Parts: sequence; structure tokens; C-alpha cells
Amino acid sequence: MTTSTHYLQIQHLRKSFGSFTALDDISLEIKEGEFICFLGPSGCGKTTLLRAIAGLEQQEEGRIVQAGRDISTLPPQQRDFGIVFQSYALFPNLTVSENIAYGLANMKIPRREREQRVQSLLDQIHLPEIGDKFPGQLSGGQQQRVALARALATEPGLLLLDEPLSALDARVRLHLRNEICALQRKLGITTIMVTHDQDEALTMADRIVVMDHGRIAQIGTPEEIYRQPATEFVARFVGSMNLLPARVLSHNQLMLGRKEVQVPLMLPPCDEGTLGFRPESVQLHAAPWGLDRSEQLVFQAQLEQVHFMGAFVRLELGYDAELPQIHVDLPVEQLHSLNPAVGRALWLSVPAAALKFYPQEGQNRNPVSEAGHNGQMNLGVAAMQVAGA
Amino acid sequence: MSATLSLAAKRGFDTETWLQRLIVAAGVLFLLLALLVPLLTMLVKSLQNGAGEYIGLSNFIAYFSNPALTESILNSLNIAVWTTLIVVSTAFVFAYALTRSGMVGKKGFRLLTMLPLFAPSLLPALSMIYLFGNQGILKDWLPVDSIYGPVGIVMGLSFWAFPHALMILITAFSNSDARLYEAAKSMKTPSWRVFLTVTLPSVRYGLINTIFVIFTLTITDFGVAKVIGGQYNVLATDIYKQVVGQQNFQMGAVVSVILLLPALVSFIVERRVQRHQSSQLSARAVPLQPNKAPLRDALLTLFCTLVCGFLLLVVGMAIYASFITFWPYNMALSFNNYRFDMMDGGGWASYFNSLQMSAWAAVIGTAVVFLVAYMSEKIKPMPTARKLLQLLAMLPMAVPGIVLGLAYIFFFNQPNNPLNLMYGTMAILVLNTLVHFYTVCHLTAVTSLKQIDNEFEAVSASLKVPFYTTLRRVTLPLALPSVLDISVYLFVNAMTTVSAVVFLYSAETTLASVAVLHMDEAGDTAPAAAMAVLLMLTSLAAKTLHWLISHQILQRTQRWRQR
Ligand SMILES: Nc1ncnc2c1ncn2[C@@H]1O[C@H](COP(=O)(O)OP(=O)(O)OP(=O)(O)O)[C@@H](O)[C@H]1O
Ligand SMILES: [Mg+2]
Repeated sequence: MTTSTHYLQIQHLRKSFGSFTALDDISLEIKEGEFICFLGPSGCGKTTLLRAIAGLEQQEEGRIVQAGRDISTLPPQQRDFGIVFQSYALFPNLTVSENIAYGLANMKIPRREREQRVQSLLDQIHLPEIGDKFPGQLSGGQQQRVALARALATEPGLLLLDEPLSALDARVRLHLRNEICALQRKLGITTIMVTHDQDEALTMADRIVVMDHGRIAQIGTPEEIYRQPATEFVARFVGSMNLLPARVLSHNQLMLGRKEVQVPLMLPPCDEGTLGFRPESVQLHAAPWGLDRSEQLVFQAQLEQVHFMGAFVRLELGYDAELPQIHVDLPVEQLHSLNPAVGRALWLSVPAAALKFYPQEGQNRNPVSEAGHNGQMNLGVAAMQVAGA
Repeated sequence: MSATLSLAAKRGFDTETWLQRLIVAAGVLFLLLALLVPLLTMLVKSLQNGAGEYIGLSNFIAYFSNPALTESILNSLNIAVWTTLIVVSTAFVFAYALTRSGMVGKKGFRLLTMLPLFAPSLLPALSMIYLFGNQGILKDWLPVDSIYGPVGIVMGLSFWAFPHALMILITAFSNSDARLYEAAKSMKTPSWRVFLTVTLPSVRYGLINTIFVIFTLTITDFGVAKVIGGQYNVLATDIYKQVVGQQNFQMGAVVSVILLLPALVSFIVERRVQRHQSSQLSARAVPLQPNKAPLRDALLTLFCTLVCGFLLLVVGMAIYASFITFWPYNMALSFNNYRFDMMDGGGWASYFNSLQMSAWAAVIGTAVVFLVAYMSEKIKPMPTARKLLQLLAMLPMAVPGIVLGLAYIFFFNQPNNPLNLMYGTMAILVLNTLVHFYTVCHLTAVTSLKQIDNEFEAVSASLKVPFYTTLRRVTLPLALPSVLDISVYLFVNAMTTVSAVVFLYSAETTLASVAVLHMDEAGDTAPAAAMAVLLMLTSLAAKTLHWLISHQILQRTQRWRQR
């Protein structure tokens, strides 16, 4: 019935716990071999969505189609997936090998082959020696990898990971990120990972599904999510963003605090909203000469603080007492050439492509921006900057 | 769309879910038939006359207009209040000494206080007769005329209920937060104020809980009052007299309903309190290290020695008396009293019946309890039925044994009930005993299951391993210690219980604990004591065996527990 090339299709999924709506009209399509991250703050329904895909929660409405098969009402044991939980859920009374072989036991595979499979999985997770240990004797990172091997042992078509790295310390986490990605690429297995860590999502995923209060806020590649946050929520949640509350005066005039500015955008017909731009998209100038106000936002602000962040510096500038401080990230060399003193007034310009305007919630839900078409520009640098920040 | 859904639903038919549903349904059916329906039958009987016609509240009116009967209500309350007062205050000091003092020999004291758990409740009553009875060795010490009556009942019950109170209070005292004491000390608070403002509030729920548990235990007790009550009637013995003495089943049902009320009320209060207690301690609490205070510790040691001395005296007296040839005329030691075949009550056969019954109760009971607890905790289908299961599993705690026994007569002895086949067999004794002690077993199983990761079922479903395989390979081994605990708990209680089975045995299935009762009724006090001692020793042996076995099994199968 479904002849699409999508491996997993989720259509209008709805799930509530009592009067609380945990998932609200979720629709989503995932291609074969893709690495998808569900990203969102705590309680937004990421785990619930993952469990619905696994059949561990039953949705009230909506369909799930996996590899052309409608699995909406199938119990978990009739679906095709492997899962790793945040707690790993390794069986403490079984050895590592027995844990990994757990799902192989009832697949009628000869014992020799089973042992080989276990050993090759142990090799793949780079822990060839630990087969005879018990989970209690392993470190957190090792346990995590064993759980991954166990989930992969039966060669499922879909791998589900619920915050697999959140219980680990920062260094191990970075290392395992790469390892999971490498393994996923090698096996080509369609993977969904739940996380509330934006760095994790930005660096690992092919596409990110940002969730907010049981709804999907945006779906896109890490770059799209970072460069074109569809809503103010996404903008706040992913990376850092200057977000200035503004009143709309005309189609290209905004009231920022007590100052009027001209913006190089077509503003929607509404009263209020938020103007947003990334700290690294701002350029600093000693004087406003030669800046075209129809192509960039230009304004003056006072330098209040300079923070050295390693690869770059973060400047905090005061624009208006009623507004939050504006953050600007600059490469260190650029700061040296400019060499501004604290307290000095500087000219800031933001190219139209980097500007977002979000009308206030309930007025007009489409964000306005000019840069929808030229997303090819190299912003990997920006993403990495955020990841490193 | 709806067509595809129903198609998917058909494909979704899977044996596992249906098996789970089947087991849940069987569990609910089991508890309904073995607990709720018998109780309801009894309720109905209390509204009927001898011919089975509905007569409204006439039985109750008859009951309340007979002062000889209603007096028992006050007597029961009297006994329960006094026993609760004595037991709870003694256990409070004892638990304080064990947890908060620098007293030495705590382990030994703790072990000795467990002793009463292994004795049938008839044993302390028989001991009282030898200690303070008409020919008792300490008769002159007794401040009242006769031990046969309230004083004897209270003393016997105090012995028997003490370890139950102590267990709860030790738990309550163990949940201490040293930081509070340090704060109090740094503010130079006098120790009596620390006690009132820190210690007492921290154990308050445990204390209230203990009071209600002991009150329920003692107001519903049958054995002690039966043996040593004399002319002093209480509700539980009234039920027995109405049913066995006068064959007045309706009046038995009425008294049962009346006895059920205080038990239910205190049960409900206790559950409420229990909920508070568990959430009381913050996760960051620092356990208190008991400090030494020579004078206080010496006084507490003296106190604990006296209490344990009393416990040992009671047990020792029963053992000693069981070897006396003919008290008080021939004090030579002999095994004469252990020749049970010469006495009433079924002889040695009843002892072996008891062994058999207890073994069955332990084996079948543990399986049933664990399966039901597993189903109510770990699976997804039928949430409402599983709620009902949990509720029904808590109910037996509130039902006095003698009431359950009578309810079983009413339900299983109906000629038109197909289950009536069980009547008079070993099966009904096993069933009754299991249900009687169900709640504690269920709670033990649930507690250990709650400590096992909830995602194991999800993981095995994702690996296409059926839930029963995971139950066998993972969950059961992990819960093994508590499974063994449940089985020994069932065995010991099945060995020593009297109240519930006293109505249900037949000529072929006489039980040792009931034999104690009958030998005592027939005036053979010494053989009764001998049998009671034998039951206690058997229970102790079972417990020792359990300890050895669990030690062995845990050593062998739980290698993973070591790091
Ligand atoms: N079984 C349940 N019963 C009632 N409410 C639930 C249940 N499971 C989840 N919820 C609620 O649904 C919402 C979404 O839960 P979910 O676990 O999916 O969040 P999450 O996005 O995974 O958050 P986290 O990052 O904290 O894991 C939460 O508000 C949670 O309280
Ligand atoms: Mg979650």
C-alpha cells in the first residue's frame, strides 16, 4: 500500500497520558540508513515517541509504517528493532557474551556461528577481551557498548537509542559519539537516537527532529536547524542566538527597545515579535561608512565586556537598557586588528541572510527570512563553534 | 483506514500477550475465589437464618441484645489495648537499644528476639500454665488470682507479638539522618529535647504503624485466648464456640463480621501511614553512627537482658515441661509426652500432615505469589485487572485467620459449589494457609521485583525473546533471595498456624498445631507442650536449612554479585 522509498513513516501520531498530551499529531519520514536525532528539552515527548515506534507505548491515533509494513498495532516482539536504554538494561546475572547472545539463542543458529557472531560484535565495539565478565565489572562506557552490541546482534532493521550517552562522563561521551557514528555508517542501519544534548545531535545526526511540548518544532539537517531555526523555540534551544523583543512599526521598521531601526526584511503584518541573529554572524566596524541598510541591519552598541573563549572571543555589548545584552563572537585575530576598548561605541552589522524575525506566538507562525535558498554556504564552522562552546 | 487498522490488529494477535492476559485473569480469579467470594458468602450468611432464609439484621440484633456475647467485644478491645501498650513500649526501647546505643551483643539480642516467630502462638500460652498456673513454678509471683484470663492472654500474646513490633521499629529507627543530630548538638540542645524533637518525629510513622499492626494481630488472635483464656471470652474464641460448640454458624458469621471491622479499619490506617513512611527519608541522608554512653548503655543492656530472659523463660519452660514425665508428681525426665499416638489430636500422623501441608504451601505458594507479583509489576496488558490484583493481594492482611477459616466453610461446603470437592482435603488447607499469609509474601516479591530494571521486558521483546524466557533466565535468578525468603516464611507459618485451619481439617488431614489445641482441651497439657515444641524445632530447622541453602545457592549462582 505504501510504495514510498521511506523506510519508516509516522503519520499523525497522538498519545496522551490521562489528560496530558505527550505526542500531538506527529508526522515524520525517515529514509533507509539515516541517522536521526530526536532533540528537545526534558519532558517534550522524545522518549514517548521512541517507545511508540518500538511498540512499548500504544498510540491513540496515527499510523507507523516500517519497510512497507503497517506496524501500528503490533506488539514489540513482532516489530523489527534493537534498542539501547539510558540505563543500558544489561542482564546483571549473565556474562557479557551471554547478554550479547541473548537474542540469538532463539534464532536457531548453530552454536559455533553464534559464538563467532558474539566475538565479531565484541571486536566491533573494540572490547574483544571482556566476554566472560559480568556487567557489574565493567565501566559505564563499556556497559554502553555492550548494550549496543546486544541490540545489534539480531541484525535489526532499525536501531533505537534513548539517551545512550547521558549517563557517561564528558570525555567518554565524546569518544563514544564517534564510535557510534562510525559503527552506524559501517552497518548502514537506520538509527534513531533520543537526546537533549544539542551538540550530540548536531555532530551525529543526518537529520534532527526538534521537539517541543509533544509537537515537532522543526525537521532538518543539523545545518538547516542551526542556520534556519524555524521557530523562536528552536532558535533558543539550538546554539546560542541573540533574541531581541521588537515592535513592528512598518514593513521594514522595528522598534528595538526605545530605538527605531530599519531592517532589510519584509516584516509580516503583526504587532510584536522577536528579532534573532547568531553571535558569529555579526560584523564589527569602527564607523558606519559604506554599510547598505537595505542589505544589512546596522546599529551602534557599547562594548561592555570581552570574554576570551579559546578559539574566539565573545563580546557583550549593550544596545538598549531595556534589551538583553548582545553577544558577538569574533575570531581572535579580528579582535586584535580592531582592538576596541571597553566602553567604546561600535557599529554592528548583520547581513540580511543571517537575520530571523519570529512574530509573536499566535500571530503568524511563519518565520521570515531571506536566506532560505542559499543554505549551502559553509556553516559547518559555526556548528563546530557551537559544539565547542 | 479502519480496515487497515483491523487488519493490523489481526496480525497483532500474538500468543505472548494472550498468555500474559491468561495468567493475569487466572490470578484475579484465584484471589476472587479463594478470598473475596468466601468473605462475601460469610457476609450473606450473617443475614440468613439456620434454614438459609434472608432475615435482615435479625442475627445482629440478637447478638447485640445478648450481653454475654457483647461482653467479648470489650474483652477483645481490653486485651488488644493492653498488649499493644506493653509490646510497643517494650519493642520501642529494645529497638532504640539495638539501633542507637553503643550496647554490646546486639546481634545476639536480635537473634533471641526472633525466637517467638518460630513458635505456634499456643506455645507461650502453654508455658504460662506451667509458669503461673495452679501448679506453676512461679505461681506465687503472680499478682492476680489466676493466670487463666486476661493476664495470661496478655502475657502470652506479648511474647508472640513482640518480634513483629520489633521488626517494624528497627526499620523506623534505622532511617536516621545524622545531620539532624549534629545540627541539634551544635546548638547545644539537651538530649531529652533531641529525643523529643528529632528522634521521636523521625520514627513517628513507624510507631503509628507498629501500634496498628500489633493491635490487629492481638485483637484477632485465637490460639492464646483459647488455651489460657478460661472463662474470659474474646471475639475469636466466640466464633470458635459458636461454630464448633453450638453449631450456630449464623452467629459465627455475625461475630466474624464484627471482628472483621476493627481489623479492616486498622488495616486501612496502616496502609495510609505506610505510604508516608517510605517517602520520608531524603536520598542524601547520612546514616547515624551510634555513640557510646556508659550509663545509658548499661541500663539498656539490663533492659534487653530482662526482655530476652522472659522470652527464653517462656520457650525454656515449654521445652522443660515437655520432658517432665508427670507434672508435678513425677518430675523425672522422659520422652513419654512425645508418644503422640497415645493421645487425642491425630498423633504423629498429624505432625507429618503438617509437614506435608507446609511443604505444599511453600512450594505452590511461592510459585503463585511470585507469578502474580510478576504479572502485577512487570507486564503491560490489562491495567485494570492488574490494579485489582494488587488490591486483592493486600486484603488478606486485614482478614483474621479464624474469619477466613469460617468463610471457607461457608463457601466450599456448599453442596452446589463444584469446588466443594476440595472440602476436607489437604488442598483446602494449603489454599487457606496460602491466602491467610498472602500479603506479606506478595509485598516481599513486589519489593524485590521493583528493584529490577523495568526495561528488561522491553529489551527481551526487542530481541524477540518471549517474556517467560526472560522471567526464567533473568528475573527469577535476580529475585532468588526473596523467593527463598517467601518459601520459608510460608513454611514456618503453615507449620504453626491454628486459627484458619481449625475449621477445615478432616479425620485424614489432622494438623499438628490443631492437635496441640485438642490435647490441651483434653487436659493433656504436657503432650500439647511437646507438640508445640516439636513444631518450633521444625520451624527452626527449616529456617536453618533455608539459611544454609540460600548461602550455598547464592554462592554458586550469584557470582555476578561480586565485583
Ligand atoms: N507512563 C506515563 N504516565 C504519565 N505520564 C507520562 C508517562 N510517560 C511519560 N509521561 C509524560 O509525558 C511527557 C513526555 O515524556 P517523555 O519521557 O517522552 O519525555 P522526554 O522528552 O523523553 O524527556 P527526558 O529528556 O526527561 O527523558 C512527560 O511530561 C512525562 O511526564
Ligand atoms: Mg526520555
